[in-house]
Amino acid sequence: MNQTSSIVRLQQVDKDYYLGKVVVPALRGIDLDIAAGEFTVIAGPSGSGKTTLLNLIGCVDVCTRGNVSVDGHDTAKLTERELTRLRLERLGFIFQSFNLVGVLDAFQNVEFPLLLQRKLNKAERRERVMDLLKAVGIDNHSHHRPNELSGGQRQRVAIARALVTQPRIVLADEPTANLDSATGNAIVDLMEKLNGEGTTFLFSTHDPRVVGRAGRVVRMVDGRIVPPGAETAAPQPLHA
Amino acid sequence: MILVHIALRNLLSHKVKSSIVGGLLVFGTILVVLGQSLLGSLDRSMSTSIVNSMSGHVQVYSKDAKDPLALFGGMGGGNEIGHIENFPKIRKAIEALPEVAAVVPMGIDQAIVFGGNILDVKLEQLRAAEKAKDRNRIRILRAHVRRIVGMLESELKNLKGFTDESRMSEDMRSGLRDLPQATSDTFWNSFDADPLSHLELLENKIAKLAIGEDMFFLRYIGTDTERFRKVFDRFEMVDGTPIPPGQRGFLFNKLTYEEQVKHKTARRLDKMKDRMAEGFAIAKDEELQQAIKLNRAQYKEITYQLDDDAADLVRVAMQTELGSKEPALEKLVDAFMNMDDANFARRYKVFYDAVAPNLRLYSIKVGDTMTINGMTQSGYSTSVNVKVYGTFRFRSLDRSALAGSANITDLMTYRDLFGFMTADKQAEIQQLQKASGVKAVTRENAEADLFGGSGGEEVTDTTGVTPTDAPADATPAAVAAGTPPPDNARTFAASLQQRVYSPTEIDGGIVRNAAIMLKPGADERKAIQEIKDINDRENLGLKVVDWREASGIVGQFVGVIYAVLATSILVIFIVALVIMNNSMVMATMERTREIGTMRAIGAQRSEILKMFIVEALVMAAVFGSIGCVLAGTVVTWLGQIGIVARNDFMIFLFAGPRLYPFLSLTHIVVAFFVVFLVTLISTLYPALLATRITPLAAMQDAE
Ligand SMILES: Nc1ncnc2c1ncn2[C@@H]1O[C@H](COP(=O)(O)OP(=O)(O)OP(=O)(O)O)[C@@H](O)[C@H]1O
Ligand SMILES: [Mg+2]
Repeated sequence: MNQTSSIVRLQQVDKDYYLGKVVVPALRGIDLDIAAGEFTVIAGPSGSGKTTLLNLIGCVDVCTRGNVSVDGHDTAKLTERELTRLRLERLGFIFQSFNLVGVLDAFQNVEFPLLLQRKLNKAERRERVMDLLKAVGIDNHSHHRPNELSGGQRQRVAIARALVTQPRIVLADEPTANLDSATGNAIVDLMEKLNGEGTTFLFSTHDPRVVGRAGRVVRMVDGRIVPPGAETAAPQPLHA
Repeated sequence: MILVHIALRNLLSHKVKSSIVGGLLVFGTILVVLGQSLLGSLDRSMSTSIVNSMSGHVQVYSKDAKDPLALFGGMGGGNEIGHIENFPKIRKAIEALPEVAAVVPMGIDQAIVFGGNILDVKLEQLRAAEKAKDRNRIRILRAHVRRIVGMLESELKNLKGFTDESRMSEDMRSGLRDLPQATSDTFWNSFDADPLSHLELLENKIAKLAIGEDMFFLRYIGTDTERFRKVFDRFEMVDGTPIPPGQRGFLFNKLTYEEQVKHKTARRLDKMKDRMAEGFAIAKDEELQQAIKLNRAQYKEITYQLDDDAADLVRVAMQTELGSKEPALEKLVDAFMNMDDANFARRYKVFYDAVAPNLRLYSIKVGDTMTINGMTQSGYSTSVNVKVYGTFRFRSLDRSALAGSANITDLMTYRDLFGFMTADKQAEIQQLQKASGVKAVTRENAEADLFGGSGGEEVTDTTGVTPTDAPADATPAAVAAGTPPPDNARTFAASLQQRVYSPTEIDGGIVRNAAIMLKPGADERKAIQEIKDINDRENLGLKVVDWREASGIVGQFVGVIYAVLATSILVIFIVALVIMNNSMVMATMERTREIGTMRAIGAQRSEILKMFIVEALVMAAVFGSIGCVLAGTVVTWLGQIGIVARNDFMIFLFAGPRLYPFLSLTHIVVAFFVVFLVTLISTLYPALLATRITPLAAMQDAE
């Protein structure tokens, strides 16, 4: 993998949290490259550092040591405004609890990032949003507000929202954790399909069935990435 | 715009917050609109009352004034407002301004007038009868006078125990010495032998004992009466005629006239009638019962005035009304005055049909000449005779005591009373100094009446003023008042009543203040500025105040309520601010994840701030509008039915019996401004908190 094709690159990244004077080391010496078009899963037990890692990549947090570069930008060197801009233009987010704006309907939720971008006119926005709602299968519910949708439908809306700005990478922290397994599977199906259409996905999970569907698996334990060699040593009931 | 949409949606979804904040904002808006509207209409109605009755839009007075001008009386009560020296110049300069319609010169002061007691009146009538040799009248009048003197004696006897004789005036003492003689049979039996000397004793000695029976404190405006009448459109005559242009004269304010000059029993009955018309009943109302008590106790107010003929008429009328054969008048009056709700209306009519015609219903009548006793600026007593031409009122303010206390006289009389040296006064003093004033004024008057005088209708004060304490350096005016004018002075004084003064003479003397009436639609503020400018430029030496300031506490009334209202609105909005701030902070906390999500997916801090501001604006617009509509409805409704004035003061404030509030665009604009301001301020802190929410807030969830 050469450097230019990677969207995300982490080198020797450490992240410490401070609880008062106690230092909580959440990540240790992380090296990671994500290339365009990949469908990557970050797997690992609770507390292993998945969310922390995604936050660094998602530019909502900065690392303590090391280097995180997203779409060629060293995040440590960017201002708060520039980070926000980077999130808006280059990244898509899917959240565990969907995080839709409650007072807006499905269409408006998806349209929201486009309004922040101020690039497209109303008609263009409409077309883009409706296409995506169709792609995630919610086009019939475009005027429903989140509380009128099921969990799976909400997450579909959230996926549409993450994709609407045509980001370089979509980050998702346990997108299926709040869904029953059938719905969760359908969501992974959808992401797979969208990945097939060219979107890069990076998401975390500790659901073994989901891990099995990933193109690439990054395993984490205690804030470190388990080297690929040790990967095979891991128990593999997943494919059972 | 999506932000407006979010704002509206948020309003609807955060029900608790919205209803608290909304309620406060609506309430605040209503308060602001309603308060302004009421005060605005109050200000307008007051200006109608005050401006068009006596103040004009602007008042000017000497810049050297020690006290502030207070047309309706002020707090300190000081009246040292200096005086304006060169009124013609001032008038010319100010009337040249395009906004100004007229400048009316004025001087306001207070004086005492003695209504003349019944003994004086009867003695005068007796003198006329003696002159006419009308045997029958003489008989009746003598009997009446004798009865009055008898009553006087018994009254004074009662008093004697309480009063220390050494503290009485010389007049009092000599009167008391002569009283036994005046009540003796010998005196009355010998009356025919020398009526004049008998009359003289009664007039000069005995009548003095009856002073103070009718004493009025009058507040009056000395002014160019003709201009006053034309400029102040609230002025209207009730009885009599206006003072002829350029002449001396006095006009009673109808309310003062009724309150002070009218026969006390009659006045009480009038007031009872008014009160009962308002729905009060004698059976339940203490005030009415009190009036009845007074009428019964003061039966003498009636019996004292009746001679035998009149007493017969009244006796018959009352006996008929009461169905009684009681011969004693006192008992009849007492029973008659003991009214109840059932018989009041009938007895009121009987009183005016059969009793009042025999009474001196007003102790000073239109057409009489009365003596006004004033106090000069240097503190000495002074008195001036002036003819009462009639009564007037200020339209629709006729029941207001404040507007009803101002009487009107001409400037010449005013200047004499106030001790300014007019040419007339100087001439009069010269006359005085030539003559030796031995005889009393009353004597002079009486003789003039008896022997070819001007007829018996002049009521002249007999008590006069006794400036026994006037020091050697007393002003000529005081000397004039203290020393009775002799013959030639008397004729001179009479001629003054007929004199017509030229406008130059009227304007020429000193005035104390002047009312400036603006043309209709003129901009008050601009006009005041122009007057101030011209005052500075031409060195007029004036203090220029608007009608509010000029009218003393009354004029500042609206200002005071305005301050009270503004303060309470301020307090309410500060409370609202705190409550709104709290509830919005709470709402913001609830929205942490939503805001964090927006930040995560790329909303800048400034956009979050914008969202909050839009929300505040939407909130202000929505609730402000609701408040305005509600307040507008209330004002319109009040504007149709009117607010009823519950007392005299309110009548004055409302410029009539009802106040009709109106709504103006300014009220709405101000209300919106206030609401927007308050909402924005209360959003400030929660908005700041919101911008501090990090995108991490979107992630740290669920678990
Ligand atoms: N804000 C924080 N302050 C202090 N410590 C934190 C904070 N966030 C995470 N940690 C610690 O960092 C470590 C990694 O946490 P992280 O949330 O990344 O784990 P995770 O793999 O996402 O776990 P889970 O599967 O339960 O979501 C944990 O030990 C956690 O206690
Ligand atoms: Mg996690």
